Amino acid sequence: MSAAPNLATKLGGLDLAYPTLMGSGCYGTGEEFAPFADLSKIGAIVLKSVTRRPRLGNTTPRIVHTPAGMLNAIGLQNPGLDWYLERELHKYGDRPCRIVGSVAGFSVDDYAYVCERLAARPEIAAIELNVSCPNVASEGETFGCDPSLTAKVVRAARATTDKTLIVKLSPNVTDIRAVAKEAQDAGADALAVINTVRGMAIDVETWRPRLGNVSGGLSGPAIRPIAVLAVYEVAQTVKIPIVGQGGIETLSDALEFFLAGATAISIGTANFTDPRIPERIVTELEAYLAGRGLAGIGDLIGKANIGFATPHQYEGDEG
Amino acid sequence: MATLEINAGVHATTVSDRRALAAGVVEMTLDAPLLARITRPGQYVMAIPPSAQAAATALAVYETQSKHASLLFFVTGGRTRELAALRPGDRLDVVGPLGNGFDCSGGARDVAIVAGGVGIASVLLAARAFVAAGARVRLFYGARTAELLVDAHRFADAGCELVLATDDGSAGERGFITERLTREPKPESIVACGPTPMLRAVARIAEELRVPAQLSLEETFGCGVGGCWGCVVPIARESAQAPSFPPAERGGSDVVYARVCREGPVFWAHELRW
Repeated sequence: MSAAPNLATKLGGLDLAYPTLMGSGCYGTGEEFAPFADLSKIGAIVLKSVTRRPRLGNTTPRIVHTPAGMLNAIGLQNPGLDWYLERELHKYGDRPCRIVGSVAGFSVDDYAYVCERLAARPEIAAIELNVSCPNVASEGETFGCDPSLTAKVVRAARATTDKTLIVKLSPNVTDIRAVAKEAQDAGADALAVINTVRGMAIDVETWRPRLGNVSGGLSGPAIRPIAVLAVYEVAQTVKIPIVGQGGIETLSDALEFFLAGATAISIGTANFTDPRIPERIVTELEAYLAGRGLAGIGDLIGKANIGFATPHQYEGDEG
Repeated sequence: MATLEINAGVHATTVSDRRALAAGVVEMTLDAPLLARITRPGQYVMAIPPSAQAAATALAVYETQSKHASLLFFVTGGRTRELAALRPGDRLDVVGPLGNGFDCSGGARDVAIVAGGVGIASVLLAARAFVAAGARVRLFYGARTAELLVDAHRFADAGCELVLATDDGSAGERGFITERLTREPKPESIVACGPTPMLRAVARIAEELRVPAQLSLEETFGCGVGGCWGCVVPIARESAQAPSFPPAERGGSDVVYARVCREGPVFWAHELRW
């Protein structure tokens, strides 16, 4: 009998007992889901993004359910860094999983300022740079859509901490590979691929946009194929690990992301369907690996190419 | 408001009965002894879609009787259509009970319950609690048509006096039920659930009458458990329901956003700043 498969994984210096992160803004501080989910069976919670100054967030409605997913436009509601450090963060120190801080900003200096202070706290195991929030009026997504601006933000944040830096990339770009490459070269330890896809819904009774913010970010299974391709393409481009995310609800979904090249996965909207999903995925993943005699998720990562006939090979056959 | 206790969990239940109360209105009764025992008036559950193909749906716990809890809902889209298709013997998992619920302990002797449309689903347990406490309870119940005034007799059986109104005059008076509230003798306390325009009208009337009013708000939920901040409402910072997180301000220093799912769904009308 071989040993149980190894579900542990590593993002830069961040060791995770399980390859599952709970997406920023989708899991609160963990406390909200603790009555319904075993937090010791997840890898990490990515906290809601914090900014230098307090933000009220967008007007309501902030959520619209759409086919195979949902649009959200929360608008980075958060109490600001000072309040967060003084009155919130200490409460999260006893979670039975890793805690990743998420940083958002409106200037390169903002990112560096918040990153430095957040990363200095012992509760925080790693930092996610949210350079790709599509839901704030003042061009919050600008950084993530511009490879050179992304590089500036990552370089500035990198200079403030040795903790693992995860850069969350936007799918709302012409070529995500260019942004990924810049982020890597600027010092990112890992990339989160992808953030939400921009979208809009209109109420045909009232002729008004359904979201208070007019536009929002689409998540859920509707965006999964977009995310799988993004992970696959980024994995061909960079050497740093990737956190695959976008509509993951089942073991099968998770496997797609590992095979496309993800080293870990992030679960967001699926927690709104059923809070037991993250634990179910790791349980089924372990059984899947054991059933195939695989030692760990390392045997899955980026294996989507192997054994595939390429157009080139067919050409040869025809010759 | 009732104090928030975290006694909720995920309940694997079986559908024991399904009643169509009108076209597109369903009461789904579940075998759920624990849920039935711990649910307070005005609380809700997140019903997990059996297909797992969509977000869970927030549904009021309508009735609890010994080992059973029932959910009353209108079929408004794909998610409720899927739930409405369940039959006795089918499994339905729910997360809950969630939310603060109504405070039925105030000692009011004369309570007006105002319900509009599907809002009726949130107030039956409250009606029973007030009647049990010895209060006179009047149900002001409005809907589009007579057919959609579902289950009014159940409230009468529970000891409520009924005041009805419909948009088309097919039952009770034609017009808004809130208009009737202004013409009837003043209650000591108001409890209301229904569409937002109705709740705003109730809040105005309660202010004019100088009567405390508890409103169960309607808002689109994301997670339903407080994790996503998708369902917020502005309230007075001094409210006992104001969350410590976050304190960001709007229109001055006295307003904060509370989560309808977590700090609510029931709020004191005079504390809302909507």
